[in-house]
Amino acid sequence: MNVLTFFEASPDEADAPTVDDLQAVTEDVWLALVGEDEVLVPRMVPPGTPFDATGVWSSSVTVSGGWAGVVTVELDEGVAQQLSARMLALPEGEPVADGDIADAVGELVNMVGGNVKSLMPGPSVLSLPAVAAGRAAFASDVAEVCRLDLAWRGAPVRICIHVPA
Amino acid sequence: MIIDDSRAMRSILRRIVTGLDFETTEAEHGQAALDQMNAGVVPDVCLVDWNMPVMDGYTFITQVRANPEWRDVTLMMVTTESEQRNIVRALAAGAHEYVIKPFTPDAIVEKLSLLGLVPAETEQGAWA
Repeated sequence: MNVLTFFEASPDEADAPTVDDLQAVTEDVWLALVGEDEVLVPRMVPPGTPFDATGVWSSSVTVSGGWAGVVTVELDEGVAQQLSARMLALPEGEPVADGDIADAVGELVNMVGGNVKSLMPGPSVLSLPAVAAGRAAFASDVAEVCRLDLAWRGAPVRICIHVPA
Repeated sequence: MIIDDSRAMRSILRRIVTGLDFETTEAEHGQAALDQMNAGVVPDVCLVDWNMPVMDGYTFITQVRANPEWRDVTLMMVTTESEQRNIVRALAAGAHEYVIKPFTPDAIVEKLSLLGLVPAETEQGAWA
């Protein structure tokens, strides 16, 4: 009997989601959290360009098991504040506490990472989110395999996937 | 009872279900939810995240189902965990419904309706 399994996928299919996959996942999550009125817009950013926000919130989740990778979200500080305010239904312009931003940004990467995990071979386990006020830092033994640069209200948003090198 | 380690997600779910005339209580993980239930706060329905610190949602479901006094509590997973084997595990452990994040308010209302917890006339637009 010829049985097709996840492990018969080509190496490229098994390594990482495509940028299109990542964009679809991110747009679905953003739509659910923010609504339809203001969408994420793709940005053309040359490879190797540092994330170009002055203030940054970053968050990441790790997937381990049938597929191993790290999904990272970096947000302009203003985007992080506005996203948090939307999720918490705070009045526009009301200050958002750092703890609330960390919570919202963590939930964002949890949802993106969880849906990335669902695209890849399993079974796998998703970590709890790690959140930082500042740029994300990556271990030397991982390599970026997918990067999505977007803008929301004119400010940058970056989603990356790293896998073990 | 809304059980999720994210305050923001609890806020989103709270707005949806209070729009359907539910009264809510919240817990940041499964153990905190069990503590409330052991103290006498026994909800009609729990919306349960899977991936939480201290006690995850799957363990919470097994703990609730191990107590016959709580057999009438409806359990609905609301989570990013979408592997088929885990959905099956959660349902086998006693979850009644399963919603994968990201979700729309309609999806939550539809599931609550399927569970007989939302009157038909409030199924659409009540949370708006």
